Amino acid sequence: MSLDNILNHWSDYRKGAEEGGHHDYEHRWAMAINLDLCIGCNACSTACYAENNLAVVGKQKFEKGQAMHWMRIERYWDQQELEHPEQGASFLPMMCQQCGAATCEPVCPVAATYHTPDGLNAQVYNRCIGSRYCSNNCPFRVRYFNFYSYYESSWPQPLEQQLNPDLSVRDKGVMEKCTFCVQRIRTVKDKAYMEDRKVEDGEVTPACAQACPTSAIVFGDTMDENSRVAKLWKKHQVERGVYQKTRHAKKNADLRGYRIFEELNVDPSVMYLERVREDV
Amino acid sequence: MTMVTEKDINEQIAWAKINTDVLKSMENPRPAYWVTLAVCLAMISTAVIAEYIQYTTGMGPANLNNPHMWDMYIATFVFWIGMSHSGTLLSAILHLIHADWRKPIYRFAEAMTTFSLMTAGLFPIIHLGRVWNMYWVLPYVSDRGHWPNFRSPLVWDAFAISTYLSASMLFLFVGMIPDLAICRDNTTGWRKKLYTVLSLGWVGSDQQWRNFRKIYLLMACFLIPLAVSVHSIVSADFAMSIMPGWHITTFPPYFVAGALYSGCAAIITLFILLRYFFRFEEYMTLPIMEKTCKLTFAIAMVWTYLNLVEFASVWYGHDIYNKELLIAKATGPYAWVFWTMIFCGSVLPFALAFRSLRRHMPTMFIVSLGLNLGMFFERWMIVAPTLSMAHEPHQWDVMWGSIVEWAIVFGSFGWFGMLFLIFVKVFPSVSMYEVKEMVFHRRRSQGEEDVARMTDHAKPATQEGT
Amino acid sequence: MSETMSGKMNRRSFLKVMGWSTAGATLAGCDLPSTVTLEEGKEDVVSYLMPEEYVIPGVGVWYASTCTQCAAACGIHGRVREGRVLKLEGNPDASLNHGKLCMMGQAGVQGHYNPDRITSPLMRSGGNLTPVSWDKALALLEEKLGAVNGERFAWFTGTISGHQAALVDNHLEAMGSSTHYVHEVVNNAVSRAVYQDMLGESNPRLRLDKAKMIVSFGADFMGASVSPVHYAGQYAKFRTNKERGLLVQVEPKMSLTGGSADLWLAIKPGTEAVLALGMANLLLNKIKVSDAGIPADVRSLIDSHDITKVARITGVAGHRIQRVTQLLTERSPSLVLPGANAEGQAQGYDTVAAIMMLNHILGNVGKTIESSGEFPFPQLMARQGGTADLLAFAEAAKSQKLDAVIFHGSNPLFTAPASLGLSEAMASIGFKVAIAQFPDETSMAADLVLPVNSYLEDWGTQVPANQGEDAAIHVQQPLMEKLHADTRGFGDILLTLLKQRKNDEYAQFEDYYAYLRNAFAAMPAGVKNNAKNNNEFWNTALQTGVIKVASGARQLSSKVVSFAAPAEGGAGLTLIPSPRLGLFDGRHANLPWLQEAPDQISKVVWDSWAEMHPATAAKLGINDRDLIKVSSAQGNITLRVTLLKGMNADAIAVPLGNGHTDYGRYAKDLGVNPLQILDAIKEKKTGELAMYGTQVTVKKVGPADDVSLVRMGASDTQAGRKLVATIPVEQLRRTEGS
Repeated sequence: MSLDNILNHWSDYRKGAEEGGHHDYEHRWAMAINLDLCIGCNACSTACYAENNLAVVGKQKFEKGQAMHWMRIERYWDQQELEHPEQGASFLPMMCQQCGAATCEPVCPVAATYHTPDGLNAQVYNRCIGSRYCSNNCPFRVRYFNFYSYYESSWPQPLEQQLNPDLSVRDKGVMEKCTFCVQRIRTVKDKAYMEDRKVEDGEVTPACAQACPTSAIVFGDTMDENSRVAKLWKKHQVERGVYQKTRHAKKNADLRGYRIFEELNVDPSVMYLERVREDV
Repeated sequence: MTMVTEKDINEQIAWAKINTDVLKSMENPRPAYWVTLAVCLAMISTAVIAEYIQYTTGMGPANLNNPHMWDMYIATFVFWIGMSHSGTLLSAILHLIHADWRKPIYRFAEAMTTFSLMTAGLFPIIHLGRVWNMYWVLPYVSDRGHWPNFRSPLVWDAFAISTYLSASMLFLFVGMIPDLAICRDNTTGWRKKLYTVLSLGWVGSDQQWRNFRKIYLLMACFLIPLAVSVHSIVSADFAMSIMPGWHITTFPPYFVAGALYSGCAAIITLFILLRYFFRFEEYMTLPIMEKTCKLTFAIAMVWTYLNLVEFASVWYGHDIYNKELLIAKATGPYAWVFWTMIFCGSVLPFALAFRSLRRHMPTMFIVSLGLNLGMFFERWMIVAPTLSMAHEPHQWDVMWGSIVEWAIVFGSFGWFGMLFLIFVKVFPSVSMYEVKEMVFHRRRSQGEEDVARMTDHAKPATQEGT
Repeated sequence: MSETMSGKMNRRSFLKVMGWSTAGATLAGCDLPSTVTLEEGKEDVVSYLMPEEYVIPGVGVWYASTCTQCAAACGIHGRVREGRVLKLEGNPDASLNHGKLCMMGQAGVQGHYNPDRITSPLMRSGGNLTPVSWDKALALLEEKLGAVNGERFAWFTGTISGHQAALVDNHLEAMGSSTHYVHEVVNNAVSRAVYQDMLGESNPRLRLDKAKMIVSFGADFMGASVSPVHYAGQYAKFRTNKERGLLVQVEPKMSLTGGSADLWLAIKPGTEAVLALGMANLLLNKIKVSDAGIPADVRSLIDSHDITKVARITGVAGHRIQRVTQLLTERSPSLVLPGANAEGQAQGYDTVAAIMMLNHILGNVGKTIESSGEFPFPQLMARQGGTADLLAFAEAAKSQKLDAVIFHGSNPLFTAPASLGLSEAMASIGFKVAIAQFPDETSMAADLVLPVNSYLEDWGTQVPANQGEDAAIHVQQPLMEKLHADTRGFGDILLTLLKQRKNDEYAQFEDYYAYLRNAFAAMPAGVKNNAKNNNEFWNTALQTGVIKVASGARQLSSKVVSFAAPAEGGAGLTLIPSPRLGLFDGRHANLPWLQEAPDQISKVVWDSWAEMHPATAAKLGINDRDLIKVSSAQGNITLRVTLLKGMNADAIAVPLGNGHTDYGRYAKDLGVNPLQILDAIKEKKTGELAMYGTQVTVKKVGPADDVSLVRMGASDTQAGRKLVATIPVEQLRRTEGS
């Protein structure tokens, strides 16, 4: 971000913030999560720990709310009035929604979190100074802060040999969050670039989607009209953009797709499909 | 109704006595002074130890968590920023509207502004996860072309606070020049050297007074919008966010009102302390106290009104997140803080409406502390409940901070106290030349025409320079 | 540099290329020896210009192997970079798990890199285990096992299959023993007995994906069960079929699977058979389904269970039973599954038989229950265990019938109820050998501990007991060099043991790798799938990780077995020691990822806890998070309670996993082990331990405390937000499917 750039593109810059940053996206990575298939089994979450070098904080710090689970399975009970939860539990896999108009981005004083041409909210660990404003301004509360250094406590030797060298281990004072497994995206994009072709649908699979035993998570590029995820979004009439633009998109109210906190205008990249229950 | 108008100041005070009284306050600290200074230093040391722990281990020991990424550090920051508005209000706004009664008390108020800003400025730094990189928020020249993110209110904060701090320090300094010259002429040793440098060769010539008046007026005009904008910008830290309880249109005026409020309350506290300890009864008179109290009461009512506006707009706005949060503030785990804030902020100021109470210094002392407690809680109630109960119910949490966090918060009071204690012994805490002006004007308004008598020059001259 | 030639080089890739070539030029120019000693004797830096074989710096390569985190034996791919295995994923070629892997499988790397692994042989001397050399350990082994009477020798393992199982058999034979105890806490042994008697096959293929409706009597098929990933995959198909499958779960404690049910019914523990009989009654007498094949005594049992009586005993509302039964006939084919709650009773066999009878009545056998066919390599098939062998072992140890036992892959000292007196009884066994990876309770009580390779360093074959679409042998290969120099492969240790007995027969195999190559070469041509030679077959097997074998056709019978009148449940609170996907039966308590992963239903982390219905707790004056004491006739445990509505009022659940007295830093002295206070009730027909039959009393002993019991998530409700939106199936039908 140079001054020239700001001055020359001021209107784009302002408008970009409202409508989701870039206008020249290369990809827009997105997910579709079928909540009817989510069984809350934690496979995604554990896969995320394995792939992304997430620190294990232990009981005390977990109690304090300092756990680092980028991907967490929230569990809700919906039928409070009944003696038993007759329709089971409501599981919600919650990770960074990679919002198109992300609220975390404008508030970072040093632009450590920014919008990539891939439609991701990137977090530059080296640039982060730990003001934690981004996390405060995240309605989904999916940004996790390194309240401690976890090198020794989380990875006693030889556990550290498991660490994924494709991404760094974060030190204290740095914010982190789900990246949609950007290291996998990067590898595939580089490979496609070398082979002079486009990234194919299904070539990139984040660790969570890969692990999910019921395949509830579909990942892909919504700019590729033929991708599974784009088709799902289209089928469920969920459109990218902020609420003012998208609220009339849904012609058929029966369709199951929705985005959480749509009304907050943050343009999340994760579409959830409603959980279904049969009334017996 | 006719009331006996009391005089703000007794015009019979000899000019020489003004000098002696004020200069006397700068020497020979009493034991109470040293005890207070020691307490302040102890508080600072505790905070330094706490900060050392935090610096070496990370922000964890402060009990911060997801969702409480901010807590008392930011609340205390806002508190001190608010405190800093008093000086500007008294010296700049009241100067412009020619409220003469401000003159004996504006100097320490201005000092308060500077020191509370110096205290406030520490908190954004302390609360950073990577303190050592704090300068990254400034647009310095970098070979990598890195710039801060100008969209972030935290960057605005950095600009606003540093501008306000330098401006208010200058204002304090410039306003002190004639007095420093008096000090220069009455001291020996290191003090003489110091005041010689600081008084910038002031001799009290006509040209100097003319320039002085111009620059002082100009700076006053410059400082007022600055003060208003600073707290508006601090409110933007919250108002520019998307969080319930923060994303509120009335936040800028609400913050400014709260700032003036806590600043005035602090002025009352320090007014009483200085009056008592330095025997300034003749300068910090009860009529001035009364005027300050009335001003505080008016601001308290503005603050209360803005609070009610906020509650009403939340209530009728039907935004479930905001409404839920408002109810939670009043009934949830933070309720005792909330209601203490309401009591101290909106009920307690009614004590200022009674003349007899206004004139009773012990009562006023306690009331002023109560008002500031309310204001401190107000900042707490802005920061913590929103984080504890935002959009995502899975991440709700109630957090009370840790010993590390509170040690640093209390340490900031020690820091402020230390700076102020040093100030009152190094610089005149009452503006001598302006008290003389007051006396001059009173004498003239009483029909005195002899300039020499008006300026005491008929008597053996005490000092030149004023 | 193809990209330069194609003119497609931008600044970024230019820098990349430059970076590599410059680094290369610099290093090459320095003319350094291949290893540079940074500090004498401390560290060698080996240049990546001379990498190990198959190592491409910066590039991860995926190798196929087999997961052994539970008995399911899913196929895995391990990502290996710079010689280290980093990440495990499911093997898409394995039809068992179709490229998917559960949380336990994901955490396998943490077992491999665990800081608490045993890294050298340990021998007991003077009461303590002290490190010794392999030579010494093997000499002791030879001496002791040579002296032991074959009949007084036994193996004690967890589920074991493939060539390792065959070698264990061979070793037993060489020792002149036939005693192989196979112990698994999470098992379906009782169901297997019923399947065998009713269907003529103990591991039939349950086709959840073909069912239109499933009624599960506590079968936590997606949770801690015999093959969670396989059944979760089938469940996904069941739900996304044109007609969305309907899942009804009946159990006393909500399991992971129960959390996904359309209708979850709390049943009084121990009354599952009554409910099954009641449903049969409705089917036969009200809906008038044919009663063909039902023995007369069973028929009269059915007739004596009218709906009012059943509703009273089970605590399940009558209209619910009627509706579910009605739906079962409408949604054909359906599937009725018996689960651990049904099995783990004194009359477990009878209960499962009653439940399986419903499948017979509904005609599900052959439709949603299929034959898994004749596996062509019976010697490689899984030796599936249960708790009967644990009881038998305790019995034998107590009556001093054993002089030497080799333990592997099972931790009886942790899983045995204290009432069995196993720790004292085991002291009477003269020579206990543990082939172990971790210092668990059993290996720490052994006289000789042999450190074994982790499954990611070891050769082997695994045959899943519950096969996927295609029957297959899963191949296990080392994904990296041994992490610790002094550990050995399980197969290698087995070979050594065999060489000590029958050197002439096994001397030809230098190591287990050689044995396996030989065994693979000896496989029939049909299995080799047109491989040109043995080498190619071997390479293909390693590449794909699976050897598909055609199983012989077999027909299932559908016979209703006779069973006795069921019990009506206990009078007081029944203890449910529920296994959880994650820590499982306690074997994964040393994996920090799994400790930190919250329990799926209660969301507790890093602890043991008790689950109770709020109404039950209120009656006992217990609040959420209170410290309680759970006492059985055998002892008591003290732990904190978490109130859950997904509980029957007559049950208290204490999940398994924690309560280790040993087992490394992550597991030791954390939580309590409910297995310790179980009554040693035997299932009447199979001799299994009736794990869900213990009656307990509960007393509050301490106040609630926010810090001691840690649960993830602050709110139990969505607080009016649209987070997880739920729609009725009718809405789904309007837009998708039928």
